[in-house]
Amino acid sequence: MIDEAAPSLTQDEAPFQRLHPLSIILKSFSMLGQNIVAIIVLHFSLFDQNFNYSLLAATALVAMVVGVTTLIWSRFTYQVTEREIRIKSGLLNRNNRSIPFDRIQDVSLEQKLISRLLGLATVALETGSGGGEDGQLNALARPDAENLRDKIRDYKAGLKADNPPAEDQPVTTDTPPLFAMDNRRIFIAGLFNFSFVLLAILGALAQNLDFLLPDGFFDPRTWIDALPEQETINGLSSAVRIGGALAAILSLVIIGFTTGIIRTFVREYAFRLDRVDSGQPGFRRRRGLFTLTDMVMPIHRVQAAILQTGPVRARFGWYHLKFTSLAGDASGETDHSAAPCARLPEIDPILIECAVRPASPDLPFHSVNPAFWWRRAVIAWLALAVAALGTGYFIHDGLFAIILLAVPATVVLFLNWLHHQYALEDGQLYVRSGWWRRRLTILLVRKVQSVDVSQSPLDHPLDLATVTIGIAGGSTIAPLSIADIPVKTAIALRERLFAWQNQA
Amino acid sequence: MTEHASNSSISQQSPALEPDLQPTYNQGLTPLHPPQKSLIRVNMILRALILLILASVAELLLYMHHQVQPALVLGPVTVFAILLVFVLPHRIYRRWGYDMGDEQLRVLRGFLWRTDTIVPFNRIQHIDVAQGPLQRLFDLSTLIVHTAGTHNSIVTLPGLATIDAEAMRETIKGHIRQDMI
Repeated sequence: MIDEAAPSLTQDEAPFQRLHPLSIILKSFSMLGQNIVAIIVLHFSLFDQNFNYSLLAATALVAMVVGVTTLIWSRFTYQVTEREIRIKSGLLNRNNRSIPFDRIQDVSLEQKLISRLLGLATVALETGSGGGEDGQLNALARPDAENLRDKIRDYKAGLKADNPPAEDQPVTTDTPPLFAMDNRRIFIAGLFNFSFVLLAILGALAQNLDFLLPDGFFDPRTWIDALPEQETINGLSSAVRIGGALAAILSLVIIGFTTGIIRTFVREYAFRLDRVDSGQPGFRRRRGLFTLTDMVMPIHRVQAAILQTGPVRARFGWYHLKFTSLAGDASGETDHSAAPCARLPEIDPILIECAVRPASPDLPFHSVNPAFWWRRAVIAWLALAVAALGTGYFIHDGLFAIILLAVPATVVLFLNWLHHQYALEDGQLYVRSGWWRRRLTILLVRKVQSVDVSQSPLDHPLDLATVTIGIAGGSTIAPLSIADIPVKTAIALRERLFAWQNQA
Repeated sequence: MTEHASNSSISQQSPALEPDLQPTYNQGLTPLHPPQKSLIRVNMILRALILLILASVAELLLYMHHQVQPALVLGPVTVFAILLVFVLPHRIYRRWGYDMGDEQLRVLRGFLWRTDTIVPFNRIQHIDVAQGPLQRLFDLSTLIVHTAGTHNSIVTLPGLATIDAEAMRETIKGHIRQDMI
């Protein structure tokens, strides 16, 4: 089915094709994976650990899943014409979608572990229409997938009349990458990805499979009873007790670091960022240990660059470079990761490739009004006071101590204020924010879509305002904003932004 | 962009404004079509009615089961409803304003939470003129402007006379350029 379509791809009346037959296996596996937990749960609960029943249920499940997947596969066809791709899908509700090549923002290929074994690749088409599922061909044979991507790229290259037609310049692995990470670098990146996700997963698993655990496992009283009247503990010297506590903390820390390193390795293994010039100039990013992804993002779609770091990372000089682009990253992040762990001298050339000037050290950053921290601090104190009084009176006297949290809260708010700064220079807006998650956003002013100057009821008496900038892409929940600057400054800043835009 | 947060640049409005409809509230921008105030009030009346009905039910239940003092719930809710219907519409209305510049649309809105949005015409992806059933009674329309930004992807400007809204749509349409992102 795939083969017969190959020669006539360029005609307008290209035939409808099916996905690769092996994709049935691929999808069945992922569906089974979701349902295997149900079988295990049934095995222990309803079937009373009777293996025959469970086996029967599992067989029925496999048969059903494979049957349904085959049906879905047989009803899924796509057609690649000169200027668009059409996808027909659906068992009962037929869906006929056409995606014009013009509207495709970027094409990414993804290979999960099983698809790599089967030689398949998933093609994901991003149109930037908000929802994640714009068009997904899951899955084609790897060469077919690459052909499709190249076809779309070539189409877009031909569209750019002002560009000379792309001289065939295949991306070979010989050209040095813009940025790549060796294992040592990935290890360093992993150290800063400290996370308790593994612990949370283990906890969630234990919660859900609690019928496997003895009764009262989560009840602290069980454990207190289990320790024979504190005798064991009382018998220990204080040094041993402190040692025990330290060991517990240490093991948590080790779990956190290990999780971070493993996750980073799985995601970023063999990270490589290239510049591609066939078709539209763009960045091509390849990464992944089990799941290989291969994404191409056109350079002219870059709206803003984000340099992210943290208090510890910044001390060692490591930064995470991301790009904001209309289409989100396929992996569910809102921004495209371009260099997960890099030093500034490595990042600057990447920025220059997409016509973003790096922030010079003598850039005159402006601070925002100190109300940024003290107003939030006052609110935090009030909230903590209410919580402390309420719980202290009604639950336990010790809970009055909640008020002590005001100290770290105030310190963090103050540090956040120190790190919230902005500068507008030469067509680029620089916004720094956050003390713990430090971000420096470099926005190309000509990419600004809209600008809000807004005031909350608390802003009116102080005559402050927040400037929020609408850019294509990025997070909806936390858009780029400069908080708590005087209204006059905010309006002047907005006028300067639009003045730049009109010059461009 | 001609004027902003200053009390000086007023005077292009009609001189005989009632004192609390001074243009300072919307910084001297074009106010919405006057029937919009009635429409806001109609909407507020509907909300107030729903609130009163809910409050009456709550009051009745509380009275039957706990013998609470009469008007414990209904009293405050009635005060709130009166505020909704008689005070808020005017205050909301006078905070709205818009300005069709040469190259950008400016929309000012909000009573407690005030927002002042500027969208350049050439950033607008597409435009809707929408009209609900209540709006039809007052011959009002809403201009809805879509941008490519994730923040402010939709900017709405309600309370325009339908003719004005359509004229604005035509003006903006002339400025839309292809594929700006």
